[in-house]
Amino acid sequence: MSEDVSEHEPSRTKVPMPIATLSDPHLGDAAKNPARTESLIALILLVGIVMIAGFGAAYWQNWNPWIIGGTMGAGLFLLGFGLTAWGKYLMPQGPFVEERHVLASSPEERDSMAAALVERSAVVVKRRKLLGGLFALGSGIFGIVAIFPLLRSLGPVPGTSLDRTQWRKGSVLVDSNGRTVNAGTLVVGGIMTVFPKGLQNTPEGQAIDQTVLVRVQSTDLVTAKGRETWAPKGYVAYSKVCTHLGCPVGLYEQQLELLVCPCHQSMFNVRNGAIPQFGPAPRPLPQLPLHFDDEGNLAAQAGFDQAVGPGFFERTTTKENGT
Amino acid sequence: MSETLPTAKSKRQALGPYGRVGKVVGELDDRLGVAKGGRVFLDKIFPDHWSFMLGEIALYSFVVLIATGVFLALYFVPSTNQIIYHGTYVPLRGQPVSEAYGSTVNISFGVRGGLLVRQMHHWAADIFVGSIVVHMARVFFTGAFRKPRELNWTIGTLMLILAVLEGFIGYSLPDDLISGTGLRIGYSIAESIPFVGSYLVSFLWGGTFPGNVIIKRFYLIHVFIIPLVLFGLLAAHLGLLVRQKHTQFKGEGRTETNVVGSPMFPTFMAKTTGFLFMVAGVTALLGAFAQINPIWQFGSYNPSKISYAVQPDWYMGWLDGALRIMPSWEFAGWGHTVPLEVFLPAVIFPGLIFNIAFIWPAFERRWTGDNELHNLLDRPRDRPKRTAAGAAMLALLFTLFAASSTDVLANYFHVSLNEVLWAFRILTIVVPVIVGFVTYGICREMQGVQGIGKRKRAVVVHRSAQGEYSTVTAAPRPGDAREELDPEPVPVRIDIAPLSAASPSASGESSPTGSRQVSR
Amino acid sequence: MRSQFLLPGGLLAIAALGALALIFPGAAAQASSTSKTLSASVKACGSVNLKGVTTTYNSGNPFASTNLKCSDGMVIHYGNNSITYVNPPASYAATGKLLFDQTCSSCHGSEANGVAPNGQATIGPNLQGVGAATIDFWITTGRMPATDVAAIEAERKTPRLNDKQALQVAAYINSLDPSVPAVPLPNLRGADLADGASLFALNCAACHTITGAGDALAFGTNAPSLENRQVTPQQVAEAIRIGPANMPRFSGNLSDTQVRDLVAYVTEKIQHPSNPGGAGLGGVGPVAEGFVALLLGVGGLALICFWIGERS
Repeated sequence: MSEDVSEHEPSRTKVPMPIATLSDPHLGDAAKNPARTESLIALILLVGIVMIAGFGAAYWQNWNPWIIGGTMGAGLFLLGFGLTAWGKYLMPQGPFVEERHVLASSPEERDSMAAALVERSAVVVKRRKLLGGLFALGSGIFGIVAIFPLLRSLGPVPGTSLDRTQWRKGSVLVDSNGRTVNAGTLVVGGIMTVFPKGLQNTPEGQAIDQTVLVRVQSTDLVTAKGRETWAPKGYVAYSKVCTHLGCPVGLYEQQLELLVCPCHQSMFNVRNGAIPQFGPAPRPLPQLPLHFDDEGNLAAQAGFDQAVGPGFFERTTTKENGT
Repeated sequence: MSETLPTAKSKRQALGPYGRVGKVVGELDDRLGVAKGGRVFLDKIFPDHWSFMLGEIALYSFVVLIATGVFLALYFVPSTNQIIYHGTYVPLRGQPVSEAYGSTVNISFGVRGGLLVRQMHHWAADIFVGSIVVHMARVFFTGAFRKPRELNWTIGTLMLILAVLEGFIGYSLPDDLISGTGLRIGYSIAESIPFVGSYLVSFLWGGTFPGNVIIKRFYLIHVFIIPLVLFGLLAAHLGLLVRQKHTQFKGEGRTETNVVGSPMFPTFMAKTTGFLFMVAGVTALLGAFAQINPIWQFGSYNPSKISYAVQPDWYMGWLDGALRIMPSWEFAGWGHTVPLEVFLPAVIFPGLIFNIAFIWPAFERRWTGDNELHNLLDRPRDRPKRTAAGAAMLALLFTLFAASSTDVLANYFHVSLNEVLWAFRILTIVVPVIVGFVTYGICREMQGVQGIGKRKRAVVVHRSAQGEYSTVTAAPRPGDAREELDPEPVPVRIDIAPLSAASPSASGESSPTGSRQVSR
Repeated sequence: MRSQFLLPGGLLAIAALGALALIFPGAAAQASSTSKTLSASVKACGSVNLKGVTTTYNSGNPFASTNLKCSDGMVIHYGNNSITYVNPPASYAATGKLLFDQTCSSCHGSEANGVAPNGQATIGPNLQGVGAATIDFWITTGRMPATDVAAIEAERKTPRLNDKQALQVAAYINSLDPSVPAVPLPNLRGADLADGASLFALNCAACHTITGAGDALAFGTNAPSLENRQVTPQQVAEAIRIGPANMPRFSGNLSDTQVRDLVAYVTEKIQHPSNPGGAGLGGVGPVAEGFVALLLGVGGLALICFWIGERS
């Protein structure tokens, strides 16, 4: 006869557990009417089989995804339901009991383990300290050096890439189709997305150089010192990269003269240098100084006055290099 | 001695009293020695409480994710090279799209069953994370993380973090407009980390945003690295569960040193396998009838395009909400910038939340001074402070999740967007505090009530001729009997003794020792 | 230039400021009540002095269109293959004046110039020189006449004047100060839906969402849903060209062909989403999907657990 309790628990009192015979109600059906329950489960499984067959047909005939999925889902569900119901109503539920083994080893075994660790490592420490130390040092150094290929090979150091855009003095503004912008392109209350000419279809141009061009009433503009010529005829341009987390600030409310970032609803006032008026954005959108060139097209007087986009540790507020 | 041809009866006798099954067991045992352990395994007892199955939802969702994921990986192209779309979806025809996006649209419209499998995969991912959270809540509120199970709690929390990451990376793979915006946000969050942020993103993205390697790298992480780690953690999680055995609630015959429930074979195996089919079935039904992530409507990712109402998937919603309500504090000075409005809600805050989860078992040990082994569970009401703390945490996370839908709420309720945001700034602080106190109060109340939660017998009110009232417990009616009213059955040990080798009996008589001899 | 740096003790300040929360959005929520009407106008057919209308490509400029027709110094129609802009006949103006006096003059002034008899500004803006398309849009979408003048934006509702009456009022306004744009009639045959989808993502999705479901904007304003099938192609084209309320005005930055493609995309795809994957869940994306996954998915499966297991 197998033991009721584990060999490792001399301190435990042996609990006599009743043992089930095959006729014991613990091994019997939980259902009140087993025959009827069995018929019901059989029916459910049968419908499940029909559904699976339907799934096969639906897939073979390439019917709508919802028919393919519906039959598969219903079929799987019913099969599962039947099996579970069989397990719940027609299989032994018990409750049965099982003794837990004591997880912990005996105090002697624990001491023996600790002793082995301590005494054998004493051999290392007392006699071969130098070797152990050297190996540990080597492994440690390798661990540190190994980080470099894991990380450094992945890409370049950022350098000045985050500080500047491709906007330069004389960059012509174009839309996503490459068309230039002249004095009649926008009316007051109009908005469009512009890029430096030639970069409108490059991922970096779209990501970093993207600029939002808005036309407001010239008389509405409140220009900061030094920016008086930056917005000719009411055309004012700001970096479209939100200073919060970099989403394109494409939402413009012309009566409120507010640029709203769709991601976290930072609101920038286009009248006075896109200063954030509400929401989490910390800094104004950098402004691009504009002028009309000799052909009447809008062009940049210089690059942005500072780095565009969200903040990062090396970001300073000095001018972007690009005049 | 003449040889006779083997008859059916003699063949049967040669096999022994257990027939072919016995022969197979014997062959396996010769090679692997599995018979003894196998018997113990078959008798393994699983406690039956319904809340112990919540982890199985997660487990079987994971199975569905693997199965559907393999299907998708056969057709997905993890490349951001631009191609011209020439497929069946008209509003994309002739447009430049990335290969990743194009292959995802192809899966949706060009591969038979592709849209169904894509949607099943996405629904299963949402359910996977949801069930982990629910399971974790059950473990927390019942104190199942206590000694000796702290390691399992740690492994589980790690799996939650990995599941959330895996989901984010997964829905970013199709490179559509909305998930691409999420990637831009993720880039900016990583960039905000002091000292290392700009280097980290430059390494991860292979340069500036968007670069052309991130989808490839995410693909490897999503289909190989994280699933591998999850498999390992899952094996450890289940292994610990087998080794330490499951916890159980207090009840008839249940002690700290036993497990009461139903046996592994056949009952638990049947129920759990059936449940696997049901999880797969529910996921398939959702994938069939509810559209999720219709990326063809969004277009391929273009960094200069954006949509409104771009919340991330729900399990990232709490971070999005935190980002929205955070005031615009940015520290800039001494030649450097620390964007606190990003760094605090998106890096420090989740780090704090998960660290609270990681240290909670140790913290509770210190706080209650309880260093005992626990195999019996608490009812949540038995530990009002822990329950209140957990409820407050869940309330905080839910409020932040709601805060990520400020625009949708403002639109639905016709309230100003700005006012909704301010309301959430206040609610985020106030709601968890209120929920904590109310939960504590409810727990204390419940502790004082006898027989709470149990179904009660009806009471018949009699009025005597003199006008006095008296009550009589009603007699049970047919169908009234419920487990809570009837006494719980005393658990027994399952043990059917093996046949003695000497006499395979032909009849099924009960022997005096109580063991039954199986006839063949 | 230094940004403010507040210690985390500012969290307590937020809670205190919360009491002022209702004041803060109120103070800043004063929507500009200045009108954005065109102040210059088409002086006479043949004049090229059109303030704010591009000459670069077909973008609603009568003098750069392929089928300009004038009569008695008034523009009859202009445009090209994609969109034809038509002014209501001058004969409508008489009835239009009667309708205007009844329905509109109380808010916009008897001269439609935003000036009340006592010389003060009226609630409604100056309508002279806004163009027929503007009048037609506001009236046929039912936004005008406004019933709630205190609302920050007039909402779409059942129109009080029918389409012909709208044109009559437009004719009257046009007679006071003829202007552009005229009422656009988009020709949807030959529209490029893919081009429309791409333009929609770049220009429209930021406010209306990529599925056109609409959403709340700043300070109580909103971008309406475009999924509403009562929105006609004409109204979509009008909205793009006139920029009603807070919607930006797209003139020279979108050609007539591009506007036509956008109109086709909105009226065909946005208003009739195919939703091949199943129920559309409102088109608001992960918020609704999350609720379904948690309530139906996890919740439903938890109910099944409740059935399978025991309750104690």
